Amino acid sequence: MVNVLKGVLVECDPTVKQYLLHLDETNALGQKFVIEDLDDQHVFVTAEIKDTLMKKIDAMMEQLSYSSSDKQETK
Amino acid sequence: MKTQELLTLQGLHQYLKSLPAIILDKLYNHPAACLATFRELSQLAKHYVMRTLFTIQAIPTSTISAWVNSQHQKEHQAALNQLTEIRIWQSHTLPGGMQGIKLNESFRANLKTALCGGGESWYGPQLSKADKYQFTSEALDLKSKERWECVLHYLVGAGEDLALSGEIQSLLNNCGLVSKNGITAAGFQFLLLDRPSQVWYILLQYLDSAESLGMDLVEILSFLFQLSYSTFGQNYSTEGLTQTQLTCLQHMREIGLVVQRKRKDMKFYPTQLAINLASGAKQEELDHSKSSGYIIVETNYRLYAYTESPLDIALVALFCEMMYRLPGLCVGLITRESVQQAFTNGITANKIINFIRTHAHPEAKKKVTTPIVPSTIIDQLYLWELERGRLSCSDGVLYNQILSSSDFEALRKYADDMGVLLWASPAKRLLVVNRDGHNHVKHFWKRNKQKD
Repeated sequence: MVNVLKGVLVECDPTVKQYLLHLDETNALGQKFVIEDLDDQHVFVTAEIKDTLMKKIDAMMEQLSYSSSDKQETK
Repeated sequence: MKTQELLTLQGLHQYLKSLPAIILDKLYNHPAACLATFRELSQLAKHYVMRTLFTIQAIPTSTISAWVNSQHQKEHQAALNQLTEIRIWQSHTLPGGMQGIKLNESFRANLKTALCGGGESWYGPQLSKADKYQFTSEALDLKSKERWECVLHYLVGAGEDLALSGEIQSLLNNCGLVSKNGITAAGFQFLLLDRPSQVWYILLQYLDSAESLGMDLVEILSFLFQLSYSTFGQNYSTEGLTQTQLTCLQHMREIGLVVQRKRKDMKFYPTQLAINLASGAKQEELDHSKSSGYIIVETNYRLYAYTESPLDIALVALFCEMMYRLPGLCVGLITRESVQQAFTNGITANKIINFIRTHAHPEAKKKVTTPIVPSTIIDQLYLWELERGRLSCSDGVLYNQILSSSDFEALRKYADDMGVLLWASPAKRLLVVNRDGHNHVKHFWKRNKQKD
């Protein structure tokens, strides 16, 4: 007996994976999307979530980044 | 991060190969076209053509293969393919039933004309009397450069108000160099090419779209070949050109391959861009002398562009935040946002670095001790690029609940051999294959079960 599930394989570093699991647990994207937690660097998620997920990660990176001080200095 | 070549530059030979036989045969009715194709051939193929040029009969294939000794059959085969692909050599059955090869008749006649002279003038009557307003060669260069830059401008979106006709605009839109959101990755790569390759690329696109514009391909091709064999600085008459060729002339005028004073003017001047088209050799020196660099990058992420050309500025602005604009100088800042913006357009860090290197200001190149692009900038660009690759997605299908490890091993091995395996874990008995491979693996599994 083999069960088959369609979805998206996400490959990332462990920190991002933890963030993904966190998003899943807290229902931050309005739904559960992790189908299977594969290993440290791989998660299997539903196909529909892909675009939302990418946006979410981009937004997170945006928050984390520090804007160059050079600009302030010259203004 | 994947960096793939988005533009493939076809040579003339590849292009001709893709044409249907009937068009090729018509094309060989013109000496200029024959000479241009001849020049594009490999050494050995040229040699073969010369050998058969004055031989009227067909030559048995066995004789031809005897021309080359057994060590070099590979080259021989390559040359043979080259000639038959574009129908210069055609196979022909000899009276005795032997296989033979014959030079394409119209190709023979016209190459002879091209090499030995005679025949009609390639252009119809040239204007013998000098033009009252003769263009100097500098003026021609300037004009053609101006026009060509209009095309490039359009790509970077620097000048919407530029005088490019709808036909040329749609041509540029169709070849994937620009999209609605501005320049594409392919477009950026295009901008980094040397000028002759750019012209050639656009012309190939033009030829591809010619038929949809209701123009005859053969007429355009022979016109372009004629152009490439004309003399720079000489004026030519539009008399004797067909309607299609006149339309083509206007298009070429628009992208700077010919210069014409007025649309109705009976004279036109081919420019360097057109003349260098079919010269076979690469003209790197031509491009390098023209474009001296203008960019200096400092370690504090400041970029100085010593230029007034809106095109150059627009190019820099693709990955820079512009700060000041002074006469002859522009200052920009390479910031995370500006670079990320470039990345979303498909421009890679490598492309940016290459761009800065190739357009570096002579002063930046002069200092031997410091690199042209400071290493901090290079590292930062790569880091910003890596940031985007925090996670990569690939569509796939997950197989779970596999009962025995022998089943798992069989599936894993099959998927691996097919090259469709994305991930597998023997401990959890889970495996992921990609979408395309799913059907194969499914069938394999069904067959496997039936056997048991």
